[in-house]
Amino acid sequence: MLSEVINPELFASAIRMATPLALAAIGGTICERSGVVNIALEGIMLIGAFFGVVVALAAGSTHISWLVAASPWLGILAAVVASVLMAGLHAFASITLRMDQVVSGTAINLLALGLTGFLMVTLYGHPGTTDPIPVAINAVFNFPTPAGGLLATAWSWIDQIVFSYTPIVYAAMIAAVVGQWALFHTRWGLHLRALGEHPRAADTVGIRVLRGRYVAVLISGVLGGLAGANLSIEQVGSFNENMTAGRGFIALAANIFGRWTPIGSYLASLLFGFADALQIKLQAFQSVVQIPVQFFLMLPYVLTVVVLAGVMGRAVAPAEVGKPYEKE
Amino acid sequence: MSVLALREITKTFPGVVANERVSMSLDAGEIVALLGENGAGKSTLMNVAYGLLAADSGEVLVDGEPVRIRSPRDAIAVGIGMVHQHFMLVQPFTVTENIVLGQEPGRFGVIDFAEARKRVREISERNGLEVDPDARIADLSVGMQQRVEILKALYRGARILILDEPTAVLTPQEVRELFEVLRALVDSGLAIVLITHKLDEVMLAADRVIVMRDGRVVGETTPSVTDERGLARLMVGRDVVLRVERGSPHPGDVLLEVDDLVVDDERGLQAVRGVGLKVRGGEIVGIAGVDGNGQRELVEAIVGLRRPKSGRISLKGREITHAPVRETIAAGVSHVPEDRQRRGLVLQFDLAENLILGDHARPPVATFGVVHRKVVEDIAERRIRDYDVRTPSWRVLAGNLSGGNQQKLVLARELGRDPELLVTAQPTRGLDVGAIEFVHRRILAERDEGKAVLMVSMELDEVMALSDRILVMYRGEFVAEFAAGEADAERIGLFMTGGTTREAEAAVAGGGAG
Ligand SMILES: Nc1ncnc2c1ncn2[C@@H]1O[C@H](COP(=O)(O)OP(=O)(O)OP(=O)(O)O)[C@@H](O)[C@H]1O
Ligand SMILES: [Mg+2]
Repeated sequence: MLSEVINPELFASAIRMATPLALAAIGGTICERSGVVNIALEGIMLIGAFFGVVVALAAGSTHISWLVAASPWLGILAAVVASVLMAGLHAFASITLRMDQVVSGTAINLLALGLTGFLMVTLYGHPGTTDPIPVAINAVFNFPTPAGGLLATAWSWIDQIVFSYTPIVYAAMIAAVVGQWALFHTRWGLHLRALGEHPRAADTVGIRVLRGRYVAVLISGVLGGLAGANLSIEQVGSFNENMTAGRGFIALAANIFGRWTPIGSYLASLLFGFADALQIKLQAFQSVVQIPVQFFLMLPYVLTVVVLAGVMGRAVAPAEVGKPYEKE
Repeated sequence: MSVLALREITKTFPGVVANERVSMSLDAGEIVALLGENGAGKSTLMNVAYGLLAADSGEVLVDGEPVRIRSPRDAIAVGIGMVHQHFMLVQPFTVTENIVLGQEPGRFGVIDFAEARKRVREISERNGLEVDPDARIADLSVGMQQRVEILKALYRGARILILDEPTAVLTPQEVRELFEVLRALVDSGLAIVLITHKLDEVMLAADRVIVMRDGRVVGETTPSVTDERGLARLMVGRDVVLRVERGSPHPGDVLLEVDDLVVDDERGLQAVRGVGLKVRGGEIVGIAGVDGNGQRELVEAIVGLRRPKSGRISLKGREITHAPVRETIAAGVSHVPEDRQRRGLVLQFDLAENLILGDHARPPVATFGVVHRKVVEDIAERRIRDYDVRTPSWRVLAGNLSGGNQQKLVLARELGRDPELLVTAQPTRGLDVGAIEFVHRRILAERDEGKAVLMVSMELDEVMALSDRILVMYRGEFVAEFAAGEADAERIGLFMTGGTTREAEAAVAGGGAG
C-alpha cells in the first residue's frame, strides 16, 4: 500500500498542484510588498481560468488548422489578458479611489464568481462544466523510457519529478527565481519594497508611489492569469464553475508562510500542493480505512489554518500594507 | 547673494493664516535659527520651501533665480534637503539602501551595492558623520537615524539643509555631536535652517536668529547681541520665567507603590529589572535617564498598557498590576505618553473627540453608552481655552495642529480629568518656552493640590526643576536617588551613563582630590 501512495507520481502531482498556488502567491507577494493587499487573487484566477477556456474552445472549434493548433496557447493569452483587466479594476479601486482594499478584493471575487456563472449559461446554455478543450497542452519534454532494470526505475523518478510538466509549471518555477532576484537586486525591487514600508519616504525621494503600486497589482494579474490557465487549460482541460475553490486565499497564506518572498511563496505552495496530492492519493483508500472523503478534502484547508496560526504574529508584514496612499 | 530666499510667502489653512507674507533669506556658510511659539508657522514655511506644501502666493529663489517647487523632487533638484522631525526612513532597509534610495548606482536596473556602499562611506567620512553602512535602520538609535537623514540629503547634493526640531529627541551628547557636524557643514559652504525651541541651543549654534509669531516674521537678531531672556521676550512678546519657583512639598499618603517590577520589551528582553518605588500625594518624583533604559516600559506597565512579567503595582493600597487601562483611568491615573502622535492622540479625530478620550464611556460625557455631543463640546471648548491650544475651533482634526499644540492637547485632556496620579513622559517635548512655563506651573499646581506626579524626562533641567525626589534609571534599574536639594547635574549625568557611586563621589570631590 505504501508504494501505492509514495511514488514519483505523488511528488510530480504535488508540484503540479502547487503551481497555481505558487503563481498566485508570488503575485500576492509582489502586491503586498508594494503595500496593496490582494484578496482579489481568487477572482482574478477564476476569470483567467474561464476566459482561457472560452477562447481555447472558440479557436479550437474553427476549421482553420493553425488556429486549432494554437487554440490552447491563445487560451493562455486570453487568460492573462482577462486577469490583468480584473487586476486593473482592483488597482483602480484601491489605489486611485483609495477604497478599502479588502472590500475591493471581496467585491472582485464576487463579481468573478457571478460573471463566470452568468456567462457559462449565456454562452453554453448550461451551468456547471464546459466542454473539454479540443487541443490540450503537452508536457514540454518527452523522453523515451528505457526498458527494465534499476536504472530505468531511477530514470522514471527523475523523468516524472523533473521532466513531466506542462509549460506553466516551469513558468512558476522561473517566476519564483527571477522574482526573488528582482526583488532584492534591482531598482524596481528596492523601490517596490520601499512603497510597502514607507510610501511617503519613497515619495520624498522621487519614487512614484501610485504608479509603482499599479505595476505591482498588474503583475499579480499576469501571474494570476497564468495560474488560472494552468488550472483550466493545462490541468483539467475544461472550466468548472468556481474551480479555483479558495486557492486564491490559500495562496495568500502561502505568501505569508513564505515570508513575503517569491521563493518562500513557492516552497510554501509546495507544502500545500503536497497536502493536496496526498489527499487525492489517500482517497483511493477511503473504503479500506473507512474515513469519509470530506475529511481528505479538508486537509489543505486545515493545513492553511494551522500554518497561519503558527506563523502569524512572528512573520512581519510590510508596514504600510493595506493603507491607501494620499499626498499631503 | 543668498542661496535661498523666500519672498512674501502666504499660506492659509481653513480658518488659519499659517504664513502671512513671510520673507527671509539664507546665505551660504551660516546657520539660521527659526524661532517662534507653537503654531507660529515655522514648519509650514519650511514645508513650502521643500515642496511638501504649496504656498497660496509668494516666491522661492535659489541663487537669486526664481524656482518652481511643487514637490520634494523639485526641491532636491535645486539642492534643498530637509530632515523632518518624523524621520522618512524605511525601517527594515539598511543605511545604504535608505541613503541611495531613488538614486541607486548601477546599470540596466540592477543595483551595484558595492558601489553604493562605497559612496555612502565616502560622504560619511568626508562630513564626519560616522555610520555603519550595513546596519538596519530599525536597530539604530534615534541619533544615528538622524545622521542617516542628513547623509541622505548630502548624497542628493543638498546645499541648503533644513532641520525641523532635530534636537527634540536627542540626548545631550548627541546634540553636541550634531552641532559639531552642522558647524563643519556650513564651514564647507552649506546653508542651514534650524528650527528649535531650546534657547540655549540657539545661543550656542546659530549665527542669526529669525523670530516668527502668528504667521509673520516679527524680528531678527544675533546671539551676540542678546541672551535667552531676550530671545524669549521676542518670541512670546512678554517676559518668560524660564525656571518656575517651586515651594516646598507637603507629602501625604503613599498613592502609588511599585514592588519588584519586571517588565519585558517588544523583543522579549528584560527592560525593567525588578524596580520598586513609592510616590506620595503632594510630591513629584522625577525619573532621569538616557532614553531606552526601561523608562518607557516602566511607565507603560504602571498605566496598564503593558503586562508586567512579575511584581506588584498598587494605587492607594489597591492592586492594579493587571488592571485594564479603563480601570486605571477610573481609579484616577492620567498618562501623558512620550509619543503624542502614536499613543496620545487619534490624529484623524477632531479636537473635541480627542479631548474626551478616556472619559468617553462615563458620565457626564456618556450615559448608557450614548455620548452627549453638547457636553463634549463644552468640555472641549473649556480645555482648549484653559490650555491655550492655538486653533480656530474644536472642529479641526488633531493631525492638523502644530506639533506643540498637539502636545498641549494631550496635556489638556490628561490634566483636565483631575487625576489622583499623573504619569508623564517628556511632558514638554516640542513646546515653546512660554508653554513650558505654563505646563510646569500646572504640574506644580497638581502637586500642591495633593496629587502624586511621576515624571520621566530626558531633559535633565526639567527633572531638576520640578522633582522633589529624583531617581536615576540605568539599564532597567534605579541606580541612584536624590532629594531635590542635593542633586547636581554632573552627578546625575554620571549615574545616567552607568557610573557608580564611588565614581560620582570622586567626580564631585575631583576638584580637590585631583
Ligand atoms: N495641514 C494643516 N491643516 C490645517 N491647519 C494646519 C495644517 N498644518 C498646520 N496648520 C496650522 O497652521 C499653523 C502653523 O502651524 P506650524 O506647524 O507651521 O507651526 P509651528 O511653528 O511649526 O509650531 P510648533 O512649534 O508647535 O511645531 C497652526 O495654527 C496649525 O494649526
Ligand atoms: Mg513645527
